[in-house]
Amino acid sequence: MNGSKKAAGLTAGLGWLITMFLLGLLLFKGALATGYGWDWARVPAFFFDWDRMRFGPLLKGLGVTCRLIAWSLLLTLFLGLATALARLLGGPVLAGLARLYLEIIRNTPLLVQLSVTYFIWGAVFDFSAFWAAVLALSLFEGAYLSEIFRSGFLAVDQGQWQAAWCLGLSTPDTFGKIILPQTAPMLWPPICSLVISLVKDSALASTIAVYELTKEARDLAAETFLSFELWLTIAGIYLSLNLLMSALGALLERRLGRL
Amino acid sequence: MKSGKQNGGACIELRDISKTFPGGHQALKKVSLTVRRGQTVLVIGPSGSGKSTLLRCICGLEEVDSGSIRLDGRELTGQPGLRDRMRPELGMVFQAFNLFPHLSVLENLTLAPIRVRGRKKAEAESLARELLLKVGLADKAGARPAQRSGGQQQRVALARALAMNPKVMLFDEPTSALDPEMIGEVLAVMRDLADEGSTMLVVTHEIGFAREAGDELIFMDEGEIVEQGRAPDFFERPRTERARLFLDKILY
Repeated sequence: MNGSKKAAGLTAGLGWLITMFLLGLLLFKGALATGYGWDWARVPAFFFDWDRMRFGPLLKGLGVTCRLIAWSLLLTLFLGLATALARLLGGPVLAGLARLYLEIIRNTPLLVQLSVTYFIWGAVFDFSAFWAAVLALSLFEGAYLSEIFRSGFLAVDQGQWQAAWCLGLSTPDTFGKIILPQTAPMLWPPICSLVISLVKDSALASTIAVYELTKEARDLAAETFLSFELWLTIAGIYLSLNLLMSALGALLERRLGRL
Repeated sequence: MKSGKQNGGACIELRDISKTFPGGHQALKKVSLTVRRGQTVLVIGPSGSGKSTLLRCICGLEEVDSGSIRLDGRELTGQPGLRDRMRPELGMVFQAFNLFPHLSVLENLTLAPIRVRGRKKAEAESLARELLLKVGLADKAGARPAQRSGGQQQRVALARALAMNPKVMLFDEPTSALDPEMIGEVLAVMRDLADEGSTMLVVTHEIGFAREAGDELIFMDEGEIVEQGRAPDFFERPRTERARLFLDKILY
């Protein structure tokens, strides 16, 4: 049992390595064909400047990206939950507003939402590009999250709501102690996918001059013409960040499954 | 037959309650009914006769369109605040048990007493264990409900409702989802409750139980109470054609 599991893990790892190698080969060949002159040696300095002993633009950008993701995630959770609850429990007015928000956000491009948030709302309410990006990303992901929550809450058998009602449990208790614990294992995989989308979507904040990872890489590429090196490098960083998120998600999923 | 219990004051009083569902189906037509303290009232009738709707209107899962519902003399209709506070006073047992699957049997019994009644955990647990003993499941406190048989699950659900110490117990076809061999164990617990003087309103298809367990029998058809009285009278001398038709069908 354990031996076969180990063998399966080895096979999967080998598959990964071969795929990565082939992908790399393809890239290398493609670059040769276009006559691109690789210069990877300059890339490490973009992470850390050893001469002056300080962080390079890419690490600084990664820091901003992480902050952007953390704040957005927090606000996304709040917005998603509030919107789902408004649609399920709020009266016609609240449910209607929640629906309006969902339809507007879900059916327009995030790129446009970012611009509107920063250049119009940002000008009116005077907030920085960073907070405009947090707001726009949260509004965007929150709309999707609300649908994940809503479908999860609706998936719980009606009898559970009725039993909780008849026992006199308050609405917060019904959600916190009865409904949420039963849906959490169901909700977890789509929530993990959403977090991964958020990580990638955060790159769009570069369009409103938030100096996160993508913006730093774009500026560097404009200065140095090392376009492929920089794009591939930040692709690798996003990939690593998301693999970390996936691993964390899988770990927590196992714990949720044991609840 | 129990005796000397019919003298209790009114626990539940329904006056002319009516309920029409959005589709236009009128489930209840001016139903009036009194359940006295300590009394067991059984409700029988064909499916679709409004029996379950009657219970759901009393416990507040459905709103009545008109009429009055009183609990211990206090009007519940049109009083959202009071209605809300009185929810735990109406102990409901569902056909499908509706136990909380993510909690242990014991936690199913202690959750509401702790969160709603504000009891201490230890106090709630000792009461829960007492109730589990009463329904014959003292050794199953740590189990998950899904691991138990239907009959055991329904007895847990019954204990869960009892744990709130409600003024009245409402049973909505408590044995209809059970395998035949498990019906008896649930009815036995209900009979014990009735004998102890609990106030109970029971919707049931168990004719044997209806014949001898209740103080009063109600026959409903098409949203109305058609006959009301002592069970032996109803089964031996039904007064209406509708009751005779129903009895012909169920007694073969």
